[in-house]
Amino acid sequence: MIEFHNVSKRFPGGHDALTNVSMHLDKGAMAFLTGHSGAGKSTLLKIISLIEKPTRGQALLNHINLSTVTKSQIPYIRRKIGFIFQDHQLLFDRSVFDNVAMPLTIQGYRHQEIAKRTRAALDKVGLLHKEKSLPITLSGGEQQRVGIARAVVHKPMLLLADEPTGNLDPVLSREIMQIFIDFHQVGVSVLVASHDLNLIDELQKPVLTLNRGQMIHNDLDYVPDFLG
Amino acid sequence: MAAGNIRRDNPATSNKLTAYFLHHLQSLVFSLGKIYSAPATTIMTVAVIGITMSLPGGFYLFLKNIDAMAGDFRSSTQITLFLDFGLDEKSARSLERQIASTANVKSTQFVSRAASLEAFRETSGFGKSIDTLASNPLPHTIIVEPANNADTFTIKNLLNSLQSLPEVDIAKLDTEWLERLYTILEIAKRAVGIITILFAFAVLLIIGNTIRLDIQNRYQEIVVTKLIGATNAFIRRPFLYGGLWYGLLGGITSWIIVEAGYMAISEPLNRLNMLYQADLVLITFSFHDFIILITSSTLLGLTGSWIAVAKHLNQIEPT
Ligand SMILES: Nc1ncnc2c1ncn2[C@@H]1O[C@H](COP(=O)(O)OP(=O)(O)O)[C@@H](O)[C@H]1O
Ligand SMILES: [Mg+2]
Repeated sequence: MIEFHNVSKRFPGGHDALTNVSMHLDKGAMAFLTGHSGAGKSTLLKIISLIEKPTRGQALLNHINLSTVTKSQIPYIRRKIGFIFQDHQLLFDRSVFDNVAMPLTIQGYRHQEIAKRTRAALDKVGLLHKEKSLPITLSGGEQQRVGIARAVVHKPMLLLADEPTGNLDPVLSREIMQIFIDFHQVGVSVLVASHDLNLIDELQKPVLTLNRGQMIHNDLDYVPDFLG
Repeated sequence: MAAGNIRRDNPATSNKLTAYFLHHLQSLVFSLGKIYSAPATTIMTVAVIGITMSLPGGFYLFLKNIDAMAGDFRSSTQITLFLDFGLDEKSARSLERQIASTANVKSTQFVSRAASLEAFRETSGFGKSIDTLASNPLPHTIIVEPANNADTFTIKNLLNSLQSLPEVDIAKLDTEWLERLYTILEIAKRAVGIITILFAFAVLLIIGNTIRLDIQNRYQEIVVTKLIGATNAFIRRPFLYGGLWYGLLGGITSWIIVEAGYMAISEPLNRLNMLYQADLVLITFSFHDFIILITSSTLLGLTGSWIAVAKHLNQIEPT
């Protein structure tokens, strides 16, 4: 699903956010990406989501070399991915339903199909009864769940989450992580960046650790797929 | 999945094309909804566009009226032919018939020297003194009315050819003031043209700026939709339709403003007509004018937003 071969990212100004990072996440696998603040976690996720390009090395998504993707192809590749942000990035001028339906609207689904899939996604995160509410009226945990529903509504092959529990208390964080595990169990590939080490320990999934842009720990390289 | 068929293995919908047009329709309605949900900004923008466009519109209508009035004058233009003294009434009348059948002549009227003298006696106030004249000093005259559609040049030609007739002593037409009026009208038309171009640019700038602010206000929304896979065309659409609505509503507003001004003027004019049994009629926008006004304001709206979108929207990328 994701392959990095000696990927380096140097930002203008000379700062190295990633240095010689190699990794691969198989189709259907799940892993956590950890590391101190500034270690390069977001940068790695941004390369996969085509927000940044590697300065050296190769990053592949589904065998597509992300360095060679043209501007007009970017939207179509992003549709393969579901993103979850730390601050959920919901739009406050429309209902929960309309927020979750956005990926489907963008892709030109038909009205009935949109209604069906949006309700299914909301049901999965336990918020079907809130479909008509405005996001502003929801709690932080509920907003994050709406964000997850929006990320999965179009059935992406890969879920990327950048510190999805950063703003939540431990109980809510565990709830959110459990939702990711549920999606992993139905075959979706999941990569979650987080520095909540206690919670990650508890969940028993492969861990990738970055330190100053270098991969210092990589469970994926020696944990066979059937254990992951 | 290979790089080459990224587009094709999109989740299919049962009818992509229908969905495509449906989205156009949705954007159209959605952008109207946006406009509706921000009434203060919208009313301001639409009012500014309406007022801006009503100026060239009003000037245009003013000129149209002056032009029509000048046309009335032109159709009342007459050429007076003073015939040779030696010409008897019978030959003079046959000359009149001959002139009546030439091109660019609408009608002719024969006035005998006796009738002229009679009219002169009655209107001049010299009645008594005229009686003391031994003989009638006036010649027979023919009054020629040029065809309605004859322009200044045609009338001049007609005048020259009538002048060159051997029976005609003097052919007289006071065209100087008319020509002056036409020159002024010509200048005024050009001025209105320049004003229209300037104000069209103003409308472009107003709409471009409104859309630019709209894009800035919805920066976050644009970033999020790009991240979840929206194409630039998809993101562009509601803004373009927004500009289209501004232009359309602004055009209608300018039409209402000019019509209101027209009604304000024609009401006292009607009273004037009643009092003096005059027949002054103001003309207003024709249906054709209305369509041109609305179409051009809508196109200006679309162009203005297109420029703003091309300049500002494509720069926004997620970071
Ligand atoms: N756009 C950028 N320009 C310059 N430096 C950046 C940019 N984005 C991130 N960095 C730097 O790259 C390093 C890694 O950042 P990031 O990937 O956000 O770390 P993390 O998400 O692990 O906290 C940091 O030192 C950060 O300051
Ligand atoms: Mg980060």
